[in-house]
Amino acid sequence: MIRVDTVWKEFEIDKGVVFTALKGISLAIKKGEFSSIIGPSGSGKSTLMHVIGLLDKPSRGSVYFNDIDASQLNDNEISKLRNEFVGFVFQQFNLIPKLTVKENILLPTIYSRRKLSFDPEKRSQTLMERFGIAEKADSYPNKISGGQQQRVAIARALIISPELVLADEPTGNLDSKTGQEIMKLLKELNKDEQVTIVIVTHEKEIAEQTNRQIQIVDGKIV
Amino acid sequence: MEYLFFTLKSALFDFSRNKSRTFLTSLGILIGVMAVVLLTAFGLGLRAYIEQQFEDLGTNLIRVVPGQILNESGGFRSSAGPGFGSIKFDEKDVRSLQRIRTLTSVVPVFTNTTTVEARSESKYTDIYMSNAEVFTVLNLKAEYGTLFTDLDNDKRAKVAVLAPNLAEDLFGSPQKAINEQIKIGKQSFKVIGVANSKGGGGFGGPDFDSFVYIPYKTGFIYNTNKEFIVLIGQARSENDMTKAIKEIERTLLKRYEEDEFSILRQDELISAISSIFSVINTVLVAIAAISLVVGGIGIMNIMYVSVTERIKEIGIRRALGARRNDILYQFLLESVILSLLGGIAGLFFSYLIVLFIQRFFPAYIDAGSVALAIGVSSAIGVIFGVFPAKKAADLSPIEAIRYE
Repeated sequence: MIRVDTVWKEFEIDKGVVFTALKGISLAIKKGEFSSIIGPSGSGKSTLMHVIGLLDKPSRGSVYFNDIDASQLNDNEISKLRNEFVGFVFQQFNLIPKLTVKENILLPTIYSRRKLSFDPEKRSQTLMERFGIAEKADSYPNKISGGQQQRVAIARALIISPELVLADEPTGNLDSKTGQEIMKLLKELNKDEQVTIVIVTHEKEIAEQTNRQIQIVDGKIV
Repeated sequence: MEYLFFTLKSALFDFSRNKSRTFLTSLGILIGVMAVVLLTAFGLGLRAYIEQQFEDLGTNLIRVVPGQILNESGGFRSSAGPGFGSIKFDEKDVRSLQRIRTLTSVVPVFTNTTTVEARSESKYTDIYMSNAEVFTVLNLKAEYGTLFTDLDNDKRAKVAVLAPNLAEDLFGSPQKAINEQIKIGKQSFKVIGVANSKGGGGFGGPDFDSFVYIPYKTGFIYNTNKEFIVLIGQARSENDMTKAIKEIERTLLKRYEEDEFSILRQDELISAISSIFSVINTVLVAIAAISLVVGGIGIMNIMYVSVTERIKEIGIRRALGARRNDILYQFLLESVILSLLGGIAGLFFSYLIVLFIQRFFPAYIDAGSVALAIGVSSAIGVIFGVFPAKKAADLSPIEAIRYE
């Protein structure tokens, strides 16, 4: 489904000083997989996730989405792919503070240009009920707990039914009990609905809960 | 629709969270719009006022004066041209104009400014010497007593008709003036009537309410050359105006050269005066419009701040699939709303001020001003919002979302 083909990513951190975050990484993620990218901080795992999630462009190499070469797409097409293909879950939840829980969940649907095959209202209601945040629908993000915020973020990532959910340290800002609840939720989503999930983490215990571990050290898969 | 709702909601939420900032930013536009709308309202009022003044003086009037007054394009001459004041109209001219069939009245006028004395009071004012038709032509009626007649004129009767303000000044009230004596120079006149009020006297125009009207033949005492400073003709109808003017011209050309007299249509005079005022008004409005530009810069400034404050939000929206244009429109919409809020508030306050001013002066806000205020403030929102919005749209998604 997703193929990363010898991707390099270089950053110019100062004049003439180049830092190479990704050194020719190749990997494939199949539909329905529940995998993790694990590595210490600075290993390039977040950069890899940004490249896979189309937030960043590789310096060299390509990422293929169902055999579509993302490097050949323009900004609008990439935005469309981000909107329909990928759902993000971030460490800091990244909810928009001035929108309610429900509006945050619905946000991706307003950026979708195609006719949706579902009723956004109904689907957001279903997701909120399933994640136990239905009674918080009209609350603002700063009025709910971290665990609830991450559930909102996952609901938001799922609203368009993306092919891939990318979770960047989804438990990083949560206590271990809440973190475990989120992990359980992600596992269920993968098991019950065959949602393809990639978790980026530096915690071995988290990575061990996934079906496939991709280890990155110093910009290379080991 | 939903898209617009979300964008609007996020904009309005931002404004409600930064109330004083929103207020101060909109204030610039508010003041600018107010200045422009109010000045336009005054200009419109002034024109209406001038037109009303002339309308009150009578309709379908043609004034014939010695010399060249208007230049070819209809504006006032900057200086008196050749032949200015070199001729004077006399009774012969009056008689020849009276033969023109398209004119219903011909009114010769001579004026003199002097002191009018009553028993205890005296007043320095204008003596208006004319025939009986002056009252019909100028829409004057006798409020008390009677007006003088052509017979009074022919008999050189020493009778006078006072304008209401003068009657009040000299005798305390218009009624008391009837049958009293006034002295103009060394001559005594009997007050036979007091005319109705004409208004005027503002903006340096003639103060008709302080005039003394006497028959022109009686007035030859003061007008020893028996000349007239203006001949006023009244055409039968508006359609006869052009024809009447041609005939007046033909008649006068038998005796005078082309540049020795001018024929002024009342309506042309109004448009000449109006055009002067509208030029002044346009200049004032243009100066006021500068404040709109300053207001626009204020909006641009705040929008840049807003973009910087919300880099993270922009990153999140981009990660969720917002296109560059989605972000561009979001910020553009916000700056337009901000500017439009100021514009509408400015319009509202202008309306209140105009309502108040209307007690004294016929200022008014027309549909054009409303459209202009709304249009210009939206345009300012777009023009001054486009650079900050473009900055927001051009942010790289990854840098925006990592921004703390």
